[in-house]
Amino acid sequence: MDAPEDTSAGAPAAGGDGENPRWDRRRTIGAVVGGVLVLGVVVLLVVGLLNKDLGTSIQDALAQGERPDAPELTLPVLVAADGIGPEGAEVSTADLGDRIVVLNFWASWCAPCEAEAPVLEEVAERYREGGEVVVVGVDVQDLRERALEFIETTGVTFASLRDGTDGAQRAFEVPALPETFVIDTEGGIALKVAGQLTSPEQLTTAIEQLRAEGS
Amino acid sequence: MIRRAAAIAMICLLALPGLALGLTVGEVAREVRCPTCNTPLDVSNAPVAQDMKVYISERIDAGWDKERIIDGLVDEFGPQVLATPPKSGFDLIAWVVPALVVAAGLAAIPFITRRWARRPHAEAAAPPALSDEDRRRLDEELGPPI
Repeated sequence: MDAPEDTSAGAPAAGGDGENPRWDRRRTIGAVVGGVLVLGVVVLLVVGLLNKDLGTSIQDALAQGERPDAPELTLPVLVAADGIGPEGAEVSTADLGDRIVVLNFWASWCAPCEAEAPVLEEVAERYREGGEVVVVGVDVQDLRERALEFIETTGVTFASLRDGTDGAQRAFEVPALPETFVIDTEGGIALKVAGQLTSPEQLTTAIEQLRAEGS
Repeated sequence: MIRRAAAIAMICLLALPGLALGLTVGEVAREVRCPTCNTPLDVSNAPVAQDMKVYISERIDAGWDKERIIDGLVDEFGPQVLATPPKSGFDLIAWVVPALVVAAGLAAIPFITRRWARRPHAEAAAPPALSDEDRRRLDEELGPPI
């Protein structure tokens, strides 16, 4: 196909105005292929830009008074406690059972995370005996050894999962640390606290409401 | 003969720690990126980047080689911690496609240049014909022939 076209392509080009249909067809194919390539690059750029943003669907739903479904998580256990474990085992949110879950995203290098640790510990201790509520930490963007040092330093006794690849952080649309979610027994997010917790009541008010709904 | 072999073996053994000592934090840090700011680790000052540099430094002191330290960081943060995609699996595309595009471009150069060379140059357009009035004015300007 190429060879016979090649011999005729030079001559009509001299005429210029496309009197040869073969030459026109070749230029059309070239333009289409070029267009598809450019379109592909543009699509990749747009997809990349869209994926760069974490999104605000959880925040938007909460602002409208809804309870968006908590993303499903499967993460390895960093520190086992409250029936979540053993260490290193993969645990999913479904494994947490019919409990109200306080999910706290933290990192060892995050100073507000250290400052709020006593607040979370108080909430964990308050509800531990009843077993209806469980506090679970999610360690993100952190070295395992630093995370373990942090747990030892702060003295928190609740379980923590490890999100080394940021998958959970992205799924929960956490742009900055710390951030805490209260998830009801149906797996819906009832509350999100962005930033440092300063008092247990920031969580317990919502927890008590959820407990009252359940009873 | 045995003495010579023993001496060579001793020199090799002595050279090993020297090679390990040659590795710097910066050399390893260039190969990975900071997970919070996505910049190369060697230019990042994020808190986690500082921790990672300490991690690298401690491993260098312990005699780990570059590959082992990087593998350790991949184990901690996943393959996305690498500054460049791995040369295996799906990520191989990131290496192969640009090379193929460059190769295709180079291969196309002879065909394109041949076609351009074959294309005849456009004839210079003839100047517009001189009107009688213009010819008269030109003759006036130039005067009679000498």
